[in-house]
Amino acid sequence: MQSLLRISPERMRRNHFLRRLGKLGALAMSLGLATSGIAPARGQEASPPPQSADAQEPNFFTGLLSPSRTNLLGDMGGLRTALGKYGLTLTLLDLNEAFGNASGGIKQSANYNGYTVMGLALDTQKGFGWDGGTANISAFQIRGRNLSSTNLLNLQTYSGIAADPTTRLWEVWYQQSFLNGKMDVKVGQQSLDNEFIVSQGSSLFINTMMGWPMVPSADLYAGGPAYPLSSLGVRLRANPVGPLTLLAGVFQDNPPGGPFDDDSQLRGSSAWGGNFLHVGSTGALLIAEAQYAVNQPSAGDIDDGQHAAGLPGTYKIGAWFDTAPFPSPRFDATGLSLADPTSSGLAQMEDTNFSLYAVADQMIWRPSADGAQALGLFTRIMAAPDDRNAIGFSVNGGATLKAPFEGRDNDTFGAGFGVARVSSYASALAQDAVYFTGAPTPIPSVETFVELTYQCQITPWWQLQPDFQYVFRPGGGIPNPDNPTLRIGDESIFGLRSSITF
Amino acid sequence: MHKLHIIAMAAVAALLDLAFFLAAPGAAQAETGFLETLHRQTTLTSTVPDNGDQNPYAVVVAPVSAGKIHKDDVLVDNFNDKNNLQGLGTSIVLVDPATKAMRLFAIIPRHLAQCPGGVGLTTAMTMLKSGWVIVGSLPSEDGTTATKGQGCLIVLDSQGKVANVLTSPNVNGPWGNMAVVDNDGRATLFLSNTGFGVGAPKDNAPVLNKATVLRIELEIAQGKPPTISSETVIGDGFGEQADKGVFVIGPTGLALGKNGTLYVSDALGNRIAAVPDAATRKDSAGTGRDVTKDGLLKRPLAMTIAPNGHLLVTNGLNGQIVEVDPDSGQQIYARWVDPNRAQTPPGSGDLFGIAITPAGDGFYFVEDEVNTLVLAR
Repeated sequence: MQSLLRISPERMRRNHFLRRLGKLGALAMSLGLATSGIAPARGQEASPPPQSADAQEPNFFTGLLSPSRTNLLGDMGGLRTALGKYGLTLTLLDLNEAFGNASGGIKQSANYNGYTVMGLALDTQKGFGWDGGTANISAFQIRGRNLSSTNLLNLQTYSGIAADPTTRLWEVWYQQSFLNGKMDVKVGQQSLDNEFIVSQGSSLFINTMMGWPMVPSADLYAGGPAYPLSSLGVRLRANPVGPLTLLAGVFQDNPPGGPFDDDSQLRGSSAWGGNFLHVGSTGALLIAEAQYAVNQPSAGDIDDGQHAAGLPGTYKIGAWFDTAPFPSPRFDATGLSLADPTSSGLAQMEDTNFSLYAVADQMIWRPSADGAQALGLFTRIMAAPDDRNAIGFSVNGGATLKAPFEGRDNDTFGAGFGVARVSSYASALAQDAVYFTGAPTPIPSVETFVELTYQCQITPWWQLQPDFQYVFRPGGGIPNPDNPTLRIGDESIFGLRSSITF
Repeated sequence: MHKLHIIAMAAVAALLDLAFFLAAPGAAQAETGFLETLHRQTTLTSTVPDNGDQNPYAVVVAPVSAGKIHKDDVLVDNFNDKNNLQGLGTSIVLVDPATKAMRLFAIIPRHLAQCPGGVGLTTAMTMLKSGWVIVGSLPSEDGTTATKGQGCLIVLDSQGKVANVLTSPNVNGPWGNMAVVDNDGRATLFLSNTGFGVGAPKDNAPVLNKATVLRIELEIAQGKPPTISSETVIGDGFGEQADKGVFVIGPTGLALGKNGTLYVSDALGNRIAAVPDAATRKDSAGTGRDVTKDGLLKRPLAMTIAPNGHLLVTNGLNGQIVEVDPDSGQQIYARWVDPNRAQTPPGSGDLFGIAITPAGDGFYFVEDEVNTLVLAR
């Protein structure tokens, strides 16, 4: 059980969220000077026309709810414009959530959690005339209590932004594009969930595993280089032909460093994102992904209008490989069960680790090719070897309906699910424990959740998202700590997320 | 080794045959349109000046060098201000395509006493051979048509200074790209107006058939800014509509054919209309004659004429540019120039202004969503 229980709620992963009439004019009009065929400005050629004396300049409140205003603070009192002169773009996003469970778990109550991320990006072409370069630095502050830690004890934790509270430097990288944008290379501290194993459909949902999925979250050291962590690496992206995109990268595999059972997000300098020297590094993480877009145009494609546009979709296959040794979930170095009282308690180490995965997003219905309303399906499926992983298989999927109601083009409704199968080795360890202790405790197997969510755009800079999740067999069916003969009860979870772009 | 050598030779020969087979039909077929002759797209530069204005609209190639402007520079104006509010943009930038360097041409005061409602620069912009730059204003106070002003035409000298403001009851929300006949001492502007009676944006805002196409004759005295000598409404009854997302929808593209016919992109009618004898007629042709309708057109916006005489029109509802033979009305095909998948359909709402390069080997266009000027050739 030791390995399984280390799939802690702190291993949270989520895609990065990561968009007057002047007096003179009026007088002229009233005098009838501005009539057809007569130039009202005649005779004024020599001197520039005056500014309106009672003109008011736009202020913070001007157009606050305008459909085109994409951030609350606008120009930030001139800061964004000043930065823009040097090719710099400042982003600031704040997410706040209140979630509670009405049933199940080890208790019923509600928690608050939140996250604020700030990023600064440099366009080198605008900054100093260097073509194709982008630099980025970001940092965040995580706060609040994690309902999955305090109440739920589930594997597929309820929110992708909930994590150990801290303030941390996140990504620091430089990207250079080549061949007219057909290829680019990114070097630096990177969070892989921004680019790898990404599903457009799943990114709507709040559950953690709809972002960085269950298998890498549970199976890699510290969950791998994904939110809220990052690690040093190089990533190559190429677009050899229109619909095909290839991604490949190599990264330090263990952002905080340390052994598998001591890889907390807050370990050492990782607490603030400063483990640049990779103290405690365990190996290299190689990851590659091929993406194929269907019915999605590329720049330069010719449309003869003779063929109806098919519904767009994106299909991806990929794999990751970690050179580090990984502990067996069941056996010690001598082949004894870790539950055996005579075991050393030191897990047998397997040489490497790997996983294969596939991602699919496909639109299946839209009433009009020109409208916003569309129904899409998505799924992500992945597996890793049972002998060295706590989770051997995970899948999630669902449906999203954009523009569900008339006049709500920027709202999206989603219904999704996730399944995480505890590896046979981890389940066997629990059976071994029953054998050796004689205590009739439940054996973990599969955890499933369903999620219903509705993302509602109040303004382009503010979204509210009510959310419901139901978890079957929390933890895969782990014993309730208050009554170890019983599993933790199935959980109904209600919550609300607010997302504001400043 | 000898066997391998023969196999390798055979493979190379087969590949060459394949290449010839693939290339031959293209080489043998005559070009049917202009868009197929383009090979690549290059993002030239950001169009955001130091004042933070966004949402590039008009694209104009300078016909002459004058003041700050070098011949073949690309002038781009911005419709939105630094807070991305529509109808509050006041800036025009210059881009040197050779160096990709962007520099400021003008920042116009947001409120000019003679320009009703203020300044929000639209796609209606041109530069005359006499060095004057004329740009339209369809202003707002809050980024929506709820506070829309009548607007005006602003005349700038070649240093980017306001030299004159042209208003008229016929000028109300000058919106679309201008067609121009530019002669020494005189010029004729063709201008679409989409401001008549337009109210606040709301769901299902009414379509008003009040938009016009106006011909303006300018007098350009030596050393003096242009002034209006006469105006004639040559088209009227076009649809116009307030819109939450794109401010206003109405006739946007104007292009003058060699036969004197003015082509008008009727965005709400989803068609291209023809107004015959545009430079000489004394009355309105109403909404003109249908040249083409629907098909590849998806809310047609700015429009220009390719070297082969075909119309190139940007779509508002996807990232395509459509090529139309104005004589036959045939839609030749469309080219994806902005397939940005962040929008649905791809590139929706991203395109606006377009201008042919001086060499006639391509065109410039703007990508609103990323505030850039792009060259396709």
